[in-house]
Amino acid sequence: MVQTQLLGIFCNWSPFACFNSAAMAHLKMPSNFGFIRVMCIGRINQALILRAFEHGADGVILLECKDEDCRYGPGPEVGHSNVAKARKLLHLLGIGQSRLVEQSFGAHEKSELVKALWDFSEQIQAMGPNPAKPGQERGIQREA
Amino acid sequence: MKLDDPRIKGFIRDKSLFMCLECGKCSASCPRMLSGKEYSPRLLAHKLIAEPDSESFIENSVWECLTCGLCEERCPSGVQVNRFIMEMRTLLAGTKGLKGYRSHDGALHSWMRLMTSPDLKQDRLGWLGDGLKVAKSGPVAFFTGCAPYFDVFFSGIEVDTLSIVRDSIRLLNFLEIVPVVLEKERCCGHDLLWTGDRENFEALCRLNYKEFQAAGIEEVIVSCPECYQVLGQYMPEVIPEMKLKVTLLSDLLRREISKGGITFKPLKRRATYQDPCRLARMAGSCETPRALIQMIPEMGFKEMKNSGRSAICCGNSGFINCDAYSKRIQVERLQEAKATKSDLLITACPKCMIHLTCAMRDPYKHGSLSMQIRDLVSVLADQIEWSKGEERIGQ
Repeated sequence: MVQTQLLGIFCNWSPFACFNSAAMAHLKMPSNFGFIRVMCIGRINQALILRAFEHGADGVILLECKDEDCRYGPGPEVGHSNVAKARKLLHLLGIGQSRLVEQSFGAHEKSELVKALWDFSEQIQAMGPNPAKPGQERGIQREA
Repeated sequence: MKLDDPRIKGFIRDKSLFMCLECGKCSASCPRMLSGKEYSPRLLAHKLIAEPDSESFIENSVWECLTCGLCEERCPSGVQVNRFIMEMRTLLAGTKGLKGYRSHDGALHSWMRLMTSPDLKQDRLGWLGDGLKVAKSGPVAFFTGCAPYFDVFFSGIEVDTLSIVRDSIRLLNFLEIVPVVLEKERCCGHDLLWTGDRENFEALCRLNYKEFQAAGIEEVIVSCPECYQVLGQYMPEVIPEMKLKVTLLSDLLRREISKGGITFKPLKRRATYQDPCRLARMAGSCETPRALIQMIPEMGFKEMKNSGRSAICCGNSGFINCDAYSKRIQVERLQEAKATKSDLLITACPKCMIHLTCAMRDPYKHGSLSMQIRDLVSVLADQIEWSKGEERIGQ
């Protein structure tokens, strides 16, 4: 079975704190993830989400703070609206809404975060690779 | 890439740049230059021929152009500026990578490139219904373009480009044409072509052509001028054996309505018309939309200061280089529209609609630019007389 490639986008604050403490506690994490850390999930727009799929991601998970915990104010709300719109675009493209997920965490929820990563990985692995990969990406995979 | 590259020399020769008289009409009419941007088509031509060491100037200029075609319209020597810009962008993209600032962070180009996947299973026909009659196969297709995607992406500025598609099909149904609407249809690739991504543009052309063939299509009807330009002009360049008849919806409507028997309900509005560059200048269709507008009784019509083949661009093309200068072009264009004292701005291109609606919503203009903007097709579909005891479709 083909290994799926996933992208996890972390907010620098609560979710990354969870990730840090999970790593310190040696919790096992799925190996098919690439991780990006941003200062706030409000930085992520629809274009960046679509670009992940354009570059061959099989799934994208946004890991954000709880609405009331945002250090900047509207970050998670911006995230919700972008995810809602990007999911509609993914639906139109036939990639499927479930390949884009957002989840929020408090700073202490390290085991919840690891579980979320495993659940997402299993869910996408069960769905298989994203059928809509542009030519360049398919070319790279054939060469590899 | 050096400027003595034989390919560039070839473009300069083929696109008649040597014919340039340096009269400066191009720069004097260029909306980008008039809005204050450091960009000049005349200087670009001069540097290409006489100062081949100014590489960075030439590269920047090539990506700055709006490709609205007004310079080409004015040029007394027949220099093919647009085609030259397109070829140069394709060449530069191939050697130095895609440049040009992509509006919306390139989201639109991303989904266009995602569509080059042959295994794509789009779910794009959710907007059908409303009693619209469409067929699964047949000789005539209607090309919907990116409308379903635009409406999601631009929901923030409340543009409704899908209504153009619905109204187009309503009008076709009224004329007893039941068009095929393809579920696997992809973007026509206009924006990729004009931003230098020739490879993915050609991939989209081939995929679309395969879908047309599979459904047995002989004629494609389009309402978007950009799709019309690509399907009619650039797709046959990619697929030489292509034997598809591409018809612009407004041409078809004019032909059918002039046969008689169809009337329009009066509309007590005062309207003006924004000519899309791809329609008025590049397809040469200025008269047909106006003839259709004139058919609506009691509607006042006033031309803007610059209209027809001299119309000013909506500020942006191919979703690159949207900046303060684009905004200035848009604001000036909307002021021209306001000066006609019209309360309805009719256009024929969904992109004009998106760009001008965006400019109208500028909070610092306090609504002084806002007016209703509608597509020609929608205005006609609302006013056409569904006589002979027929119920209006979709109501």
